[in-house]
This record gives sequence, C-alpha cells and structure tokens, in this order.
Amino acid sequence: MSRTYLGEFEELVLLTVAILNGSAYGLNIAEELKQRTNRSINLSGVHVALYRLEEKGFVQSELGGATPARGGRRKRLFLITTYGKRTLDELRQVRNDLWEAIPNLSFS
Amino acid sequence: MPLPQPTPLPPTWADRLLRFVCPADLQEELLGDLHEQFEQQVDQLGETKARRLYVWEVICFCRPYLIRRQFRTRTVIAHAYSSPECRTTSFLSPLMLRSNLKIAFRNLWKHKMFSFINVMGLSVGMTACFLIALYVHFELTYDAFHQKADRIYRLATDLKTESETIQYDISSWAYAPNLKQDFPEVENFVRISTKGRIVRKGDLKFQEDKTVFADSSFFSVFNFKLLKGDSRTALAEPMSVVLPQKTVRKYFGDADPMGQTLLLGDDGVPAKITGIMEDIPENSQIKGDLFISMISYTDYFNKGIENEWGDFGAISFLLLKPGANPDALAKKFPQFLESHAGKMMREYKLGITLVLEPLREVYLYSKRPAEESGSVTNVTVFSVIGLFILLLACINFSNLTTARSADRAKEVGVRKAIGAARWLLARQFIGESVLLCLVAFLVAVLLSAVLIPGFNTLAGKTISPGIGSNLPFVGGMFIAASAIGCLAGTYPALVLSSFEPVTVLKGRFMANATGIFVRKGLVTLQFAISITLVIATIVIYSQVDFMRTRDLGFSKDQMLVIKAQAGTKRNVFDAAISRMSGVKSTAASSSVPGGWNPQAASSLENNSGDMQAGNLDVYRVDFDFISQYNLKVVAGRPFSRNFPADSSQSLMINEAMAKVLGYSRPQAAIGKRFDQWGRKGTIVGVLKDFHFKSLQETIKPLTFRVTDWWNGDLLSVKIDGRQVRQTLEAIEAQWKQHNPDRPFDYYFMDEFFDRQYRSDERFQTLFVNFALLAIFISCLGLLGLASYTTVQRTKEIGVRKVLGASTGSIVGLLSKDFLKLVVLAFLIASPLAWYGMHRWLENFAYQTPIRWWVFGSAGVLSVTVAFVTISFQSIRAALLNPVKSLRSE
Repeated sequence: MSRTYLGEFEELVLLTVAILNGSAYGLNIAEELKQRTNRSINLSGVHVALYRLEEKGFVQSELGGATPARGGRRKRLFLITTYGKRTLDELRQVRNDLWEAIPNLSFS
Repeated sequence: MPLPQPTPLPPTWADRLLRFVCPADLQEELLGDLHEQFEQQVDQLGETKARRLYVWEVICFCRPYLIRRQFRTRTVIAHAYSSPECRTTSFLSPLMLRSNLKIAFRNLWKHKMFSFINVMGLSVGMTACFLIALYVHFELTYDAFHQKADRIYRLATDLKTESETIQYDISSWAYAPNLKQDFPEVENFVRISTKGRIVRKGDLKFQEDKTVFADSSFFSVFNFKLLKGDSRTALAEPMSVVLPQKTVRKYFGDADPMGQTLLLGDDGVPAKITGIMEDIPENSQIKGDLFISMISYTDYFNKGIENEWGDFGAISFLLLKPGANPDALAKKFPQFLESHAGKMMREYKLGITLVLEPLREVYLYSKRPAEESGSVTNVTVFSVIGLFILLLACINFSNLTTARSADRAKEVGVRKAIGAARWLLARQFIGESVLLCLVAFLVAVLLSAVLIPGFNTLAGKTISPGIGSNLPFVGGMFIAASAIGCLAGTYPALVLSSFEPVTVLKGRFMANATGIFVRKGLVTLQFAISITLVIATIVIYSQVDFMRTRDLGFSKDQMLVIKAQAGTKRNVFDAAISRMSGVKSTAASSSVPGGWNPQAASSLENNSGDMQAGNLDVYRVDFDFISQYNLKVVAGRPFSRNFPADSSQSLMINEAMAKVLGYSRPQAAIGKRFDQWGRKGTIVGVLKDFHFKSLQETIKPLTFRVTDWWNGDLLSVKIDGRQVRQTLEAIEAQWKQHNPDRPFDYYFMDEFFDRQYRSDERFQTLFVNFALLAIFISCLGLLGLASYTTVQRTKEIGVRKVLGASTGSIVGLLSKDFLKLVVLAFLIASPLAWYGMHRWLENFAYQTPIRWWVFGSAGVLSVTVAFVTISFQSIRAALLNPVKSLRSE
C-alpha cells in the first residue's frame, strides 16, 4: 500500500472527529465512541490515536478556549483535514466494492 | 444559603506521574480531559470509584508512544504545542537535554587534552578503588557463608608454663565433646584436624597435605554443601571419606566415586567414599582436599586420644544454642577443666585457659597462629589507600574543571543574559561532570576486567574469578561514579554559575584569587598524599629487603630438605647419596629452620638452682646437624660421636634459653641439669641464636637433643652449587630405588625461606603499585593545571621573550610556583609518613631503622617528577614564537 496506513481504531476515531465536526476533543470523542460501539474506550488510547492521525496528516488541531469545568485548562480541538476526508472516502469505496463482489448477498 | 461543595480533586500523585510521562506540550489538554472525565464520573459513580478509574486512566497513559514522543524532534508537526506564555524550560525537557548534551560533548571534544586527563585520572582512580573494594570485601566476608556463623565459636587454648604462655589455635580432643555433655548451652561441636597423608587409588599416588579429620557434625554446623551422600551420616562411620569436587576429578576423573575406596596412609588403610561436596569457597578458613570421619582418627589412627586432656591438636568449634551467652559460658571453663584435668595440670605444672573466639572474627582478628590468617591492618591500610586514590582523582577533576572555568565564562554570561537561573546552570555543569564520570566508569569497568587476573596473582588468592561474578560491585561502582560526578562537579559548578554576566560579556573577566588559592591548596594536598605513599613504599621495601638479606644464623644455600617419613631404608639411602660427588654432607633431624618443630614439657636448672618447668621447642638432631647448618657454639661443646652418652643424657640449648634460665653468660649454663621427655642429664653446649622461625618473631628458647632416626624425619642434604640439577636427579633416582612406594618430597631451604616473606612482599608490591598510581594521578592533575596557567600566560611570555628573557628563565618562572607547592606538600607529608611507618614497623620483631635518606630521596623524587611534568608545558610555552602569541585576537 502506498498510502499511509490507517488502523481500525484510528479509523473509528477519525470518523468520530468527522461526526463531531469541529467540536471534537479527546473526551467527547471517547464518549461518542463508547455510545456508538459499546466498547470500553480509554482516554489514553483516544489521545494517542489522535496524535498519530495528526502526524499522518488526517486531522489538524488547535487549542480552544479555557472552561472552568476543567480546572481552567484549555481543550485541543481536532478537525478532519481534506486529506483525511479523501482517505475515508477511498476506504469506503474499497469496502463497497468488496461488498458488491460477494455472491448472493443474504446472510440471514 | 448553602455553601457550594468543594469539588473533589483527583489524586495529585497521579497527576505528577502523568506530568512525568507525557511531553510537556501535551500536558494541559490531557489533564484537562482527564479532570473533566473525573468530574463526570464523580457524579455518576461516586468519588472512590472515580478516583480508582482516574488512576487507572493515568497508568494507561504510560504508553511507549507518549514517552517516545518526548524525545522526538517536532519536525513532523507543523506547529509546536508549547503554550504562548514564557516559561523556563525544564532542565530535563528533551530540548534542553539535547542541547546540554551537545554542549557537553562539544566541550569535551574541543579540549581533548583536558578531557583525556580528566577521564584517565578518574578511571584509573576508580579502577584502583574497585579492586581494593573487591579485596576488602573478600577479606571481610571470610566464613560469612555459614548460616550459623554468629553462633559458632572457636575453642582456643592458652597454655601457661613456668616460663611462658603459649597461645594455641588448637585444643585437646577431649574438650569439645565433654563441654557438650556438661553444658546444655553447647548445642553441638566440630573438631577438625589437618594431617598429611599419602593417598592411593590404583597406581595414582599423591601426598595430600590437607587431609582433614572432621566430626560427623561437620555438615550440620557448617554450610558446606554435599552434592551426593547424606549430610548426617557421611562422616559418621569409621574410615569414611567425603571429597570435594576437585579431588574427585583428581582421582576419578568423571567417574562416579560414591562407594569406591581410597587407600590412606603408609599402611594403605581402605576408606570408603560416602559423599561428594562442593568445592570450598576461597574465603573460608577451613580448607581441605579430603575429609575423613574423625572417628577413624580417635578410634583407629590414634586410639585413646580422646581421653588425653593435655594433648593438643584438634581445632574445635562449638555451636552454641541461640541466645546463649559465650562470656557466661567461658566463665565456667576453669571449673570444668579443674574437675576433669586438675590433677594432670598440677602434675605437669600447666595452666590451661580456654578461650572462645567468634568464628567471623577468627580470620581477621585472632593473633593465634593459623593456616589462614588475614590482617586487619592490611585491610585498613588498603581501604584508606583506596579512598585516598579516589580523593586524588576527585580533586583532579574539580581542579581541572574549575581551572577551565574562564573558557566557559562567555557561555555562562550568554545563558544568564537570556534568563537562565543560577541553579539551572549549576545543574547543567554538575550534569556534565556526571556524564564525564560515567565515561570514566565505563573505562574503569574495562580496565578492571583486564586487571582482575593480575590482581588475583598479586594477592595470592582468587579474589574474583572475573568481573562477571561481581556485578553487584559494578552496580555499586556505577552509583559511586554518579555520586563522585555530583560531588566533584559541585565546586566548579558553583564557581561557574556565580559569574556576573555583565562583567563576563564585557570581556574583562579574570580568574579570581580565591579560586587560585583553593586550587593550589588541593594540589598541595594531592602531593602530600602521594609523597606519604612514596615514603611508606620505600620503608616497606627496605623492611622486606632487610628481612631477606639478614643473616639468619645458619647456612641455607644449596640446602635440600627431603621429607623422609618412616623410611626404614633411610640409612642405606643416606649412605648411597653421601657417596655422590655433588653431595657435600647430610644430616637428619626432626625439624629444620623455618619449619615445624615438636615441643616437650621440660624442666631445666636455672641460676637459682631450681628446676624451671616449661613447654619448650625441641630439635631432635643427629650428630651432623650442627656442622651441617654451620651453627656456632658459643659455650661448651657440640654433640659428638666421641661422647656416646650424648645420645641419652646430653642437651644443647640456644642463647635465648640460657637467658630465660637467668644465666648472663652462656658459659654458666654448661653442666646444669635437665629433665625432658624421659631423659635426665646435663647441658653440654650453648648454640648462638639463629632464626628458627620467621623473622617476624623474636628468637624463642630452643633445646637440642640427639636421637636416632624415626618417623617423619627430615634429611638435610648440602649440595654442590655447581651441579644442583644433576645431583637432584641422581638423588631422586636413589630414592625411587630404595623407597619405591613413597613420593619423593623435597624442597630447597632458601626458596622455602623466601616463601615466608611472600605475604610481606605481596603487601609491598601492592603498595608500590598504588603509590605509583597516586603519583600518576597527582601528576595528571599538576599537568592539567600547569598547562592551563601557561595558556593563560601566553601573552606575558611573549612580551618577556620580546624583551629578551631566556628560555631557561621562563621555564624557571613557570615552574617555580608549582614546585613551591610540592616542597610544601613534602614538609606536610614527612612527619605523617614517619609516624605511620613507625606504627607499621612495630609489627616486626626485627626492624629496619627509618633513615633520613628515605625522606630525602622521596622528596627529590617527587620534586623531580613534578618538575618534569611541568616542564613539558613550560618548555613548549617558552619556545613558542612570540610573534604568534602576540598577534592580536
């Protein structure tokens, strides 16, 4: 594969960042994932995934404002980049092709 | 209005852990998320559970990714995550660490000479210290591997006769078993007795000097590990033997020896092998190559010995019950001896005192003669020397680093101007010195690994099989190296970080006077230590030389001593070798100088006419012995075949004996009565004193009697010096012919005597080496300092040369300052060294005087060495073309 590799969990985190659309930061990404996947998610995993995604260029980040709720600490907000979006699209395309290649699509 | 509840906070230690683990630039957002989550969880799940989850969450953050990220450059990420407000970057933050390391290495590299001197001095010092630590540890842990060591005591005997008190390390066979019977606090006992025995298996035949008879409790009291056999019964049966592995290899190779037999002694008594034990550790005072059950000795080889209360020969160890008081037990000994052996003691006019010595203290502290004995003095001396050498290395390091401080003044100035706090700078410099120390540590480990075999040879025992077996020590050395780095780096760090940026950056910076004073003081201290060691070395050397060259009072050159054992063929053999051209003369005796001799309860008539009793050293000799060893007769006559009565009722004594009896002139002792070992008669002659024991002891009273040849005697053969080898071979051939089943066991007297001084010579060799080391390190320091000052004064020298100063005068000018220090150090060192050596010489009965020239030569030597060291630098500086040095910057 010539593209940068995207792990399964990283892909989930990237999708969540896209869902949350600009208000994504470590904690609410983790909660969103918990609700949608019923997995036990821990913060450190999410954060490391985010930083990796950033290093690969799929997301970008900036520091948000401070809220008193967090002891006055600022959040780092994550946004999906165009490259990130494109990569997700490509992945989805590949999967759809694979699905369609399966004969008699009925698993019931 | 209700007060708002204070919000619960997560555990602070967890936060601290997170700060430690995570890169600084991510901390804010991570802690933020964590705290937010924590607040939610407090609401949902309660505080305790939330706290637990919080800690778990933090632990999950200890991921390799985040830790790695701390040390990574941030080129990947477009923007750094640092907060906009200005903060002092932490000293250990990756960026600062990298920059500091870079600076440190650049500095080391830029001044290769300095770094080399520094690392050299430190690593050599560390190596010496490490080896000494190994040695000291080895000596201090003698017998420490016995789990019950703190309850084991050696039972030693003081034997008081009318003329003297003898301190033995041995006691009678009867004491220990009876003590166990009479006193409940004695849990168990072990007696060991080392004898020489011929051991045979098939055609293999060896003279084993370390066959040890030991009680069956041997393996339960001591921790010698049995690999095969039952520790309770291995030594219980008569004629059972336990062999250490190396002996097994010697007799059986790889075969299984269990149940096999060995033939012991001249009569070839069969003994069954009932166990194999691990080889005995090097630092054990009990050593042996074969262990035979004690019952074989007490019931067979020497039946009835267990009832003899006045026959000493077994080393006895008592194992006391836990909590038993040895002093209280010792108080009951006189009563114990009185009830068992009172009659015997009065009959022989003996006073017996029993002493309990803790096992762990026997090796180092006991003054009693023993096979293996260490010396507390040596251990202390070497510990002190080790610390000295390390101190020297540290002083060097401090000195050199401080001396170079001016070179780095600009760096400090710039850093301070940018806003570095003083303590941060100090930390940077201490860090640098720790780094240097760790480099030195690596070199030292390599050096030690190389030197350990040689060191073992020097010390004469296997102190360490190799550096791999001393890993705890290496770890200790690592910690020590870091500590030294901190300590030695502190002073220069404080000096460096105290610079005023303004003055420094103006470029009008001069090294201050106090610094110079401190440095000079330290150099003086270094040289004082070195000179002390040099003087000590010379004194030790002259003492050893004195002992080796001293006239011992008998002739020992080309004297071959053959251990004949109960050779019935000895007369034939003697006659046969006497006819050889290479043999000048022969003589037989029970003992020869430097070796063992029997003792006998004797009474001799003293100058008040009483019979004075005592336990005296005896030489049983034949008629030729006195002429064979060139002993001088100072009064009366020597034994002679013309007086047949000599072999039944004559005695000769030495001068010391005559003095003990109170005769001021030897002549007065002639014709006096004696009673010894069933012989009564008169003293016929007095021999001039000769050293029949080592020179460390004064010459004791000695008696001579003529006897015929019997068991275990020695044959002294004087050989013509021009054909020693051929004669020795011829004698051996004769021996084989007459005594085919006995090993030919011989030694040369002069070699044997040289062996006596071996331990002193070892001490001397070690000392010389360490003294050289100390001088070497001191000179390195001096070299560094001298080169620094010459560099500082390059311009001055240039100006002087232009104005017409000669090279010589400049060298003098540069050297004078330092030589003053060396002279001062010499003045400090001399009295110290004199006192120390005076104390050391007190260990010897015959001492070499400490002469003035010892100090003179040490002084001259140190000044010369110092001068040569300095002139390296100063001559180079003086020869430099002034045009070069005066070129404007």
